[in-house]
Amino acid sequence: MSEQRFATTLLLPGGLWLLLLFAVPLGLVLAASLGSTDDLGNTVYGWHPENYRQAFDPLFLPVLLRSVGFAFATVALCLLIGYPVAYYIARYGGRWKHMLIALVVLPFFVNYLVRTYAWVALLADEGLVNGAITNLGIRDTGITFLNTSFAVVGGLVYGYLAFMILPIYAAIDRMDQALVEAGKDLYGTPWNTFRHVTWPATFQGVLAGCVLVFLPSVGDFISAQLLGGPSTYMIGNLIQQQFLGADNWPFGAALTAILMAFLSIWMVLYLRSAARASREAAL
Amino acid sequence: MSAVRAPAAEPPVQAAPAPSKPPKPFDRPRFLPIFTGAFFVFMFAPIVIVALFSFNSSKSLQRFEGFSLEWYRRFFEDESLRESLVASIQIATVTMLAATALGTMLAFALVRARSRWAGSANILMLVPLVTPEIVAAVSALVLFTQIGWQLSLETVMVAHITFSISYVTVVVRARLAALNPEVEQAALDLGATRWGTLRLVTLPELWPAIVAAALLTFALSFDDFVLSFFTTGESPQPLPVRIYSAIRFGVTPTINAIGTMMLTVSALLILLAIMLPRLLGRRESGLGVLVGRETA
Repeated sequence: MSEQRFATTLLLPGGLWLLLLFAVPLGLVLAASLGSTDDLGNTVYGWHPENYRQAFDPLFLPVLLRSVGFAFATVALCLLIGYPVAYYIARYGGRWKHMLIALVVLPFFVNYLVRTYAWVALLADEGLVNGAITNLGIRDTGITFLNTSFAVVGGLVYGYLAFMILPIYAAIDRMDQALVEAGKDLYGTPWNTFRHVTWPATFQGVLAGCVLVFLPSVGDFISAQLLGGPSTYMIGNLIQQQFLGADNWPFGAALTAILMAFLSIWMVLYLRSAARASREAAL
Repeated sequence: MSAVRAPAAEPPVQAAPAPSKPPKPFDRPRFLPIFTGAFFVFMFAPIVIVALFSFNSSKSLQRFEGFSLEWYRRFFEDESLRESLVASIQIATVTMLAATALGTMLAFALVRARSRWAGSANILMLVPLVTPEIVAAVSALVLFTQIGWQLSLETVMVAHITFSISYVTVVVRARLAALNPEVEQAALDLGATRWGTLRLVTLPELWPAIVAAALLTFALSFDDFVLSFFTTGESPQPLPVRIYSAIRFGVTPTINAIGTMMLTVSALLILLAIMLPRLLGRRESGLGVLVGRETA
């Protein structure tokens, strides 16, 4: 058997699996998004673009905008927190470097639901933080943390921060330290050296981190469900409601298609740089 | 991904600057270690508190009143929760085996094949990694309903396998790309068949990556909520789905106990995946193998 035929044989099982169980279902969702429901709530395929129009009507548009707003806020906060942490670990971690990065990854592997729940337990009206506030006499009554936008964005930041730190860490770690020395030798101030040397050299990592945080944040519904409420619902909550509650699958499918279309720009950008990286790795 | 793996081979860089020159503020901004420390507190405090309060003897979530295993006992006395635990383990095991087999084959094919198909398959493999889980979950639900497949543990398994293949492929491929293809060529020249070469030459070199990928897949499947939530039948439901329903009724110490058990399982699996190459006496770090997936 020639090498190429052998490789193609091995390509088939996984490739077909992904084709039939990932790509085809995505097509089905697109088809369903143009359908309507019969009296029993079953999906009837057809041509009903009003599902899309409905998504942009004043009842639902704020939810879409909120999702994007929350996701951008999450990306910004993750960058503000993640860059310094990645910088410190990559530059000054020394022999603890790998250990510290393992510590960054570890909480990420704790169930997202359990991690979000931990914040619910902490921030609830009769939770630990409010208990401390009233017991220590800082305030007579507790503070309402839950059901606010801050809580939802905070939950998203907590959930996806590791996605920001890892690529930035990789970029700073890869960067030639001598460049910074050169910047200093040329009498660059710390800020100017950072702005003109370190930041451009690590920008690819920053970009990757932003995309990796943005994608799951926009589609998230757990944070808004557990830490927020109906006033902070995101597009994920709407989709979940349509499929598992209201039984309006065509509308849910249209929302899913809108989410995918919106994200595909970012996905293509990311996949292109990932494909380039894997080509370079293969060479 | 190679860039993340690369540092493992190098000797650790010493953080201390040359002794003759005292560090300028920019060499080591003082706020950075404090900031990083605060970051770790922020990451670990909620988890530690959940674990701590799972051993609380009272129902209170504000005061620790004494050590007890009451909430763990309640969990194991609840038959339907036990069934959910077993269901989650079954799902994770099947997912691990199937996704590891499919993903490893795909990794091998993508590294070696030069055809047009390989390019398309590469895209098809990468897209699930950047697709929000809810989109994958909705697609799976629509598919199962369309072909009339009753939602059950099997549908959850299929959805998990679909989503896990890419992770395995990325992890295994990173290792595979670092191998020297001439060793395989030598085996072929000596008369080995393609399958024989794969089994006797390539696979032994890949084991650390394959095992790390398998452990990762188990952990991801065991922890997964969104896919399970959309594709599960009535009973038994996977453990995370049960946690979700319980949380919506309010915070209880039993959830603390389940959460603590789940995080212990995940942490052990991930530590094992990180330690494994070292235990097998390999030089490369298992962490690089895992981190490779983030920077794929």
